[in-house]
Amino acid sequence: MSWLDDPLEPNPVVEALKKDVDRSLLRANLDRTIDERLEHMASMQRLIEDLRAAKARQQSS
Amino acid sequence: MTDFKALVEALASAKADFIVVGGVAAAVHGSTHATTDLDVVYSRATDNLARIHQALTPYKPYLRGLPPGLPFVWEVGTLRNGLNFTLITALGEIDLLGEITGGGGYDALVSHSVELEVYGHRVRCLDLETLIRVKRAAGRPKDLIRLGELAALLEEAKKKG
Repeated sequence: MSWLDDPLEPNPVVEALKKDVDRSLLRANLDRTIDERLEHMASMQRLIEDLRAAKARQQSS
Repeated sequence: MTDFKALVEALASAKADFIVVGGVAAAVHGSTHATTDLDVVYSRATDNLARIHQALTPYKPYLRGLPPGLPFVWEVGTLRNGLNFTLITALGEIDLLGEITGGGGYDALVSHSVELEVYGHRVRCLDLETLIRVKRAAGRPKDLIRLGELAALLEEAKKKG
């Protein structure tokens, strides 16, 4: 047995942060398959990279 | 940009023993946050070091953040003599972790992981409760922000069954 086996006790900071979470996004993600969740994450990452590249192009012109 | 699918396929095809942790494990469980690197805890068994080495060699791993040309040699001995490696490869960024704060190494974590079908391979991911536990232990500001979402996710996943 290690502390990893102990029950996960509530943490007041986490409980406070939890209140602002948009659960509709989590539920939508839980309805996806694992591969779809990862593809969704990768597409977000691609969007962020594209926006960063566009900003860099704009700043250099 | 990191090609998560290709990295997972490289490790799984080499039959390496590893557990996906960090942001990708969170995404597997349903987190909505994006991440830029793949974090894995790998078994330190000698034959597994050889499999990890074989899996990544085609993608020219190099220590991330260091200027090119420094004498970093990617070989099994490098893995044996080190523990945690933050690497950049031709497929993107991967952290090879011998141990993580609050969780320990592969042997301690394997019973707290779940085997899932990811990109057509059976891949071990840290279970959601343990992911929360190790992020709490790490105590970094970026982890705190994500902990609220992971705690909510745990509740939603339990409701969904």
